Amino acid sequence: MLLTALMAGLTAAMALLRIPLPWTPVPVTGQTLAVILAGALLGPRWGALSQAIYVAMGLAGLPVFAGGQAGLPAVLGPTGGYIWGFPAGAWVVGRLLPPRQAPGWARAFLASLAGGVGVVYLLGVPWLALEAGLGLKQALIAGAVPFLPGDLLKCLAASAILPRLCRILHPFRSAGCTGEGG
Amino acid sequence: MLEGITIGQYVPGDSPVHTLDPRVKLVATVVLITVLFLINSFAGYGLIAAFLVGVFAVARLPVRYVWRGLRPLLFIVLLTVVLNMLMTPGQVWAKWGPFTITDAGVIRGSQMGLRLILLVVATSLLTLATSPISLTDGIESLLRPFRRVGVPAHELAMMMTIALRFIPTLLEETDKIIKAQMARGADFESGNLLRRARNMIPLLVPLFLSAFRRADELATAMESRCYRGGEGRTRLRALVLTRRDVAVLSAVVVFSVAVAVIF
Repeated sequence: MLLTALMAGLTAAMALLRIPLPWTPVPVTGQTLAVILAGALLGPRWGALSQAIYVAMGLAGLPVFAGGQAGLPAVLGPTGGYIWGFPAGAWVVGRLLPPRQAPGWARAFLASLAGGVGVVYLLGVPWLALEAGLGLKQALIAGAVPFLPGDLLKCLAASAILPRLCRILHPFRSAGCTGEGG
Repeated sequence: MLEGITIGQYVPGDSPVHTLDPRVKLVATVVLITVLFLINSFAGYGLIAAFLVGVFAVARLPVRYVWRGLRPLLFIVLLTVVLNMLMTPGQVWAKWGPFTITDAGVIRGSQMGLRLILLVVATSLLTLATSPISLTDGIESLLRPFRRVGVPAHELAMMMTIALRFIPTLLEETDKIIKAQMARGADFESGNLLRRARNMIPLLVPLFLSAFRRADELATAMESRCYRGGEGRTRLRALVLTRRDVAVLSAVVVFSVAVAVIF
């Protein structure tokens, strides 16, 4: 439970980490990386919960989302669908990875791709289309294509980190790839 | 790389809006948002806008905070207006290459834009005039009825408070690790994208490790103080619904329903 809380805090910290991309105004932020790692390290249930708490913190008016956004506007606004995708994405990542053992590189990558990118877009893009009154195709162009390269890189980074992180975190009783979350 | 330690959006004050019960403010905001999605006429939007301006005046909040909330969404609002203008069929006003601007498009575009702006203003009002802690209390209290169906209201609120408390700590930690790794020759600022992503690894591994360690320490500390939440826990600040709270809430609901029905 405490770990879940800290993971939510960590997501907020990572949302502020940014690598600007030269070709689009959209920077790569650590958010989806945190989503993936939360799901992988805490398991589906606690991982999703940690992201739900992250969303709730944003709702409570803390500028925890990318670019220091916060509050209901960010969550119910046009880009809110991605934010709702975070808990769902963490759950999927947790589901796809084996509990209680360090995942292999390829498996970690595929799980990150499905959960951290697939699920988040699946919720984010239709929501953008609905709220901004755009067609699905336009929403894809505005809301998915610019982010894709960055998100792929994050999946790569996650799959490189995960096996290592799992081994290091193993001695902690509160979790460490156990799917329990403490 | 880190844009400083952030502070909340909350603007402290003691106006009637600030002292309202957080539960009332939460429910009222949700009602207003629902209405914004139901109506689609300029008169309706105008009424809601007038109402919001009134609340802002009563709350004595500076207008520039509205702008600060809107700025990050400006691009999306503009995109919405322009795309709606170009994509809605109707009587043609102007034609330029593949783009046509129709009367229906202009109306729809500006309505969608207005709706987005009002949505942002209504919701930032809530977070500007309510401290995160009292909002958390409000959310916990509103969730309590759902405990029967398995929503752990108290635990959620506790986790949220802990996460809130640790954000500055974790940010500081991140900053420290970045500096420590840079002192060891790590490079976070240059190289192509793939390289930069790889360079994040020596940052992320210690960051997660330290978060896990902190959670462990916190768990020990709480256990040794015999913490157990939920049933029977007393609070320092209890939420009390006053007559004024009830009156305000019913006024907002009546106003919203009226607007939704008429427009």
